[in-house]
Amino acid sequence: MPRWGMAADLDRCTGCGACVTACHAENNISTVGPYQAMRGRAKHWIRVERYWEGEFPDVRLKFRPVMCQQCGNAPCEPVCPTYASQHTEDGLNAQVYNRCIGTRYCANACPYTVRFFDFFNPEWDKPLHLQLNPDVSLREVGVMEKCTFCVQRIKAATIQAKADETELKDGDIKPACVQSCPAQALVFGDLNDPESAVSRLSESPRGSKLLEDLGTHPAVTYLSRQTQV
Amino acid sequence: MTTVRPSSLLALVACACAWLAAVGCGYIDTTVPPPPLTGPGLPGESRAVLTTARPNLRAALDDFLVRRPEPVQPIEFPHNIHVGKQIACTEYCHESVTTGPVAGLPSVRTCMICHNAIATDRPRIQQITQWRKEGKDIAWQRVYGFPAPSHVRFNHAPHVRAEVSCETCHGPIGQQTVAQRTVDHTMGFCVNCHKEKQAPLDCLTCHF
Amino acid sequence: MDRRSFIKLTAVSGTTAALASCGNPENQLVRFVPDEDIVPGQATWKPGVCPLCASGCGLTVRVMDADKDVVRDGQAGVVTIYAAKKLEGSTDHPVNHGGLCTRGQASIQVTYHPDRITQPLKRSGARGEAKYDPISWDDAVTELVGRLDALVSAGNQRALALLGQARTGHRALVVQQFLQRFGAPAPVRWEIFGDDLLRRANALSFGRAQLPTFDLANARFALSFGADFLGTWNSPVSQSHGYGAMRQGRAGIRGAFVQVEARMSQTGANADRWVPVRPGTDGVLALGLAHLLMAAKVGAPDAAGRAGALIEGWSAGLPAYTPDAVEKLTGVAAAKVERLAREMAEQRPGLAMIGGPALAHTNGLFSALAVNALNALLGSVDQPGGLSFTPQFNVAAAAKAAGPAPDAGASLEELAAGILAGGAGAPQVLMIDGANPVFAAPKAWRVRDALENVPYIVSFGSFLDETSALADLILPDHSFLESWAENVPESGSAVAVATVAPPAMAPLHQTRATVDVLLDVGRRLQTPLNLPWESMEALLGITFATLPPSTEGGDAWSEAQEKGGWWGALPAALVAAPSGAASASTVAPASGFAPAAFVEPQFDGDPAQYPMHLLPYASTTFYDGSAAHLPWLQEMPDPLTSAMWSSWVEVNPTTATKLGIRDGDLVDVTSAHGTLQSTAVLTPGIAPDIVAMPMGQGHTQFTRYATGRGENPASLLAPLTEATTGALAWAATRVKIARAGDPDGRLVLFAGGKNEEGRHGPGEEHR
Repeated sequence: MPRWGMAADLDRCTGCGACVTACHAENNISTVGPYQAMRGRAKHWIRVERYWEGEFPDVRLKFRPVMCQQCGNAPCEPVCPTYASQHTEDGLNAQVYNRCIGTRYCANACPYTVRFFDFFNPEWDKPLHLQLNPDVSLREVGVMEKCTFCVQRIKAATIQAKADETELKDGDIKPACVQSCPAQALVFGDLNDPESAVSRLSESPRGSKLLEDLGTHPAVTYLSRQTQV
Repeated sequence: MTTVRPSSLLALVACACAWLAAVGCGYIDTTVPPPPLTGPGLPGESRAVLTTARPNLRAALDDFLVRRPEPVQPIEFPHNIHVGKQIACTEYCHESVTTGPVAGLPSVRTCMICHNAIATDRPRIQQITQWRKEGKDIAWQRVYGFPAPSHVRFNHAPHVRAEVSCETCHGPIGQQTVAQRTVDHTMGFCVNCHKEKQAPLDCLTCHF
Repeated sequence: MDRRSFIKLTAVSGTTAALASCGNPENQLVRFVPDEDIVPGQATWKPGVCPLCASGCGLTVRVMDADKDVVRDGQAGVVTIYAAKKLEGSTDHPVNHGGLCTRGQASIQVTYHPDRITQPLKRSGARGEAKYDPISWDDAVTELVGRLDALVSAGNQRALALLGQARTGHRALVVQQFLQRFGAPAPVRWEIFGDDLLRRANALSFGRAQLPTFDLANARFALSFGADFLGTWNSPVSQSHGYGAMRQGRAGIRGAFVQVEARMSQTGANADRWVPVRPGTDGVLALGLAHLLMAAKVGAPDAAGRAGALIEGWSAGLPAYTPDAVEKLTGVAAAKVERLAREMAEQRPGLAMIGGPALAHTNGLFSALAVNALNALLGSVDQPGGLSFTPQFNVAAAAKAAGPAPDAGASLEELAAGILAGGAGAPQVLMIDGANPVFAAPKAWRVRDALENVPYIVSFGSFLDETSALADLILPDHSFLESWAENVPESGSAVAVATVAPPAMAPLHQTRATVDVLLDVGRRLQTPLNLPWESMEALLGITFATLPPSTEGGDAWSEAQEKGGWWGALPAALVAAPSGAASASTVAPASGFAPAAFVEPQFDGDPAQYPMHLLPYASTTFYDGSAAHLPWLQEMPDPLTSAMWSSWVEVNPTTATKLGIRDGDLVDVTSAHGTLQSTAVLTPGIAPDIVAMPMGQGHTQFTRYATGRGENPASLLAPLTEATTGALAWAATRVKIARAGDPDGRLVLFAGGKNEEGRHGPGEEHR
């Protein structure tokens, strides 16, 4: 049974935001428009955070791509009254849309602010809807949504491997963000496979987890940006 | 005329106060949003929108009450005759079910593969030939399939590979004329079989 | 009654009432027969080429079935088509290695844009009113042919002009050949962030009028002067791929990176050290480093060959560029200069890059030559870990269209001036192919006035923008997914690349590929042009057939169509001569080019009145504004501010305090040429005398998503140019800023909370 995880190498990440748009394209995330965006309702399942340090001229700016950490001890799971937010055996935090009744307690509990609520029915100006990915649900008003580690790709690859009677190899499954990153800063794979790239990167001395002290056991390891010169 | 009980009146007043309070502190937004983004207005420009909102109240109620009105097909296609000619489900008409998630509903192009020459004197064949000439396809109405709010992503291929027969889930369509919904696809129906066959049971197997 | 019965009663009666009152909306959807057999639910992957910038990243396009709304014979219905669903980088492509930038990911929205022009249009209102009537393709082409025939009859072939983007490759070849055979002048190619100046410098220093390719993956030290090479400059995806490898791709080795610029760009944020420098003095810093490197005997002066000889004082070791002199001119402390030089000497191989704002000055050529000399001194030219030039597939020769070298086209400034001057040579028919100078060019060039004076304008673009809205006839191109797409990358690859992709899907609308339209027009003229190609597909077949196949006896053309291109070692006969690139400044310099010396950059505006410098930078989301119409990009949070759907002005906090400006306040930004009002964002990553605004918003006409949104900093630009190349010095405008009012909510940020006043509290603004 795999345990899916990710590693984000902050020394490679350039803050370009390719992951953000790739995620929108893959997961049918609707554009909310300027009015709703102003009200904080834009849904960027993955975002690039910016941390400024210092004053001019000794300034540093660090980028960090943040997506659902698929926490092993997720604070969003026990608070859901309908068990729509739950943990799967393969390490994902599942958001089951049909169970969600929109209490938004999960977003309240999440320390990473990675959960987004559909405050209104999403709209796509036709023919932009032709781009929609048929492998991903369209979420209607009243449900929570968040990064799924591109579960549709995980499922498709697993089913295909079974059909072909082969084993899944490390690197066979790439979420949209991982695939698009020009600097190859994001790595996805099976943390239960000690040979996988993500396992090795998770052991890196540069590695740490986000808000680790909260005890959420994230499945994402961030490799710190190094300094030099 | 029923009398209004004091507790109902109290509830009504409480609701009104709650609404006022919510509006007052901005929780409910009653401001009018700005008009939608407008374009230059070119010939051929699209103004249509795809949305998950139901098109009308009836459709919304159908979804809410899980009502599936019986579909009315544009033409009475006799499954039994075709299956009787030894045409398997997955031959010609629902081919993609062995390799992908979707079974698909055949286009009139598929019908005309045979009916260009076969039974061309029958009125229904002449009807579809006429449609084909006009470029109209047969607008099949789905008999099975899950309502959108259940967010089910069913994948046929693994089931076909597991040698689950079409009749198991779709009933004896091969003996029907027009396809009838004879099997109720409740979640229990799927879960029971998954339990029996030791297929995956976690939510993300189907709901993602 | 009790509560439960009451609820049941209302529910049931309400439902019944509702059902009874509604009609019986049977599904009235008409379904039309698809044009081909469609397999539902299964994806195929096809090659593609991203068109949004000149990098030409290779794509694989995921194609699946979709239901498209159509109206046929007055009946509305749907038809199933194959539609592109997602773009991914092509794993094997030598430019992007499987990656794809944010604009590339969003480019799929070009095909499906609701405001895309769907059919040929003929102007029906006054020019600029953007009122058009539909017209058939036949009528449209006939009309254009008529106009061109009229020019020929009057013996006025020189009066045809074409204004386009700076692109090379097959499309550029057809355009160039069309104009040449017609007897018209060479096309005018213009982009605000064009790199012609760097091409000229490279021609002078290295004999290659071409943008460089950087082998970052093998470098130990990268020094960038203003180049946003991880975001928007040159070949960003290729450079990002190399950057990632430079940092963490080699066991135990991590390359260092220093960025020199006055405003921290998205690229600069990743630097180990960020060095602010006075505008227009990057070349001085580069020579200061060269001076120290030569003094440390890292390289002898003549190691830099021709590139060094172009710099005044080079052979003497650049005595004018001591660390103290450099400090005086650039503002970079002498100790910092010395330290940087030491690091460059120790960490080899190293390379230097220059681009973007550093070259957008009146002395930009000097700066570029200085950096070229520095690279040559470091021994980084054509070496691993250094810079090189991508061998260019000679498309013209492969297409047997070689003839005398084409003239360089006029500059945009010259074109506009020529039109306004009028007279016999002024253009009578102007074709627009992908350029939008009415939006981005300085007002002083009066491009809009000039276009108003052209009797007939034809546009091939897919969208109405400020420039194409002046067209009399619109012949909309296919989108890149619907036509034969190709690109011969100028940079970003160590090996020669010719990217090609067949159409990934059938055209959604009644558009036609512009190259095919031009070829058709060429055939239908009274004096046909006899262009030897039937169509774009035919042309591609001819040129690709000349390339060596991967296996003996194979077919390079069919391989390329499947793989998405050809790449590898070009046979010598197919390599374009180094100086051949289609741009204005590739003319060999007049002999007796005086060695370059530092000259103070000129700025427009009296410093007493306009104390700040304006930096209109290429935005990661909109680039130069040409991608502002894509909703995903409007909603994508800006990498440095997280702003969406907005414009803003970046101001240094100290400066802001002096001027009484708080974060989020409205400010007026005024130059000698214009004024605009936008929201101030305080950021530490900018020098106190610089204000910066992203280019790309402020469109007055560019689809529903970008029209009337934000402010256009190009409206403030002075028409200062670099003397030798005529390149626009877009970083040379001085401005003043003043507080204009409280925040009005127009700035939309994704990150951070706002307090009651609608502002970000101190420390929260850059969460």
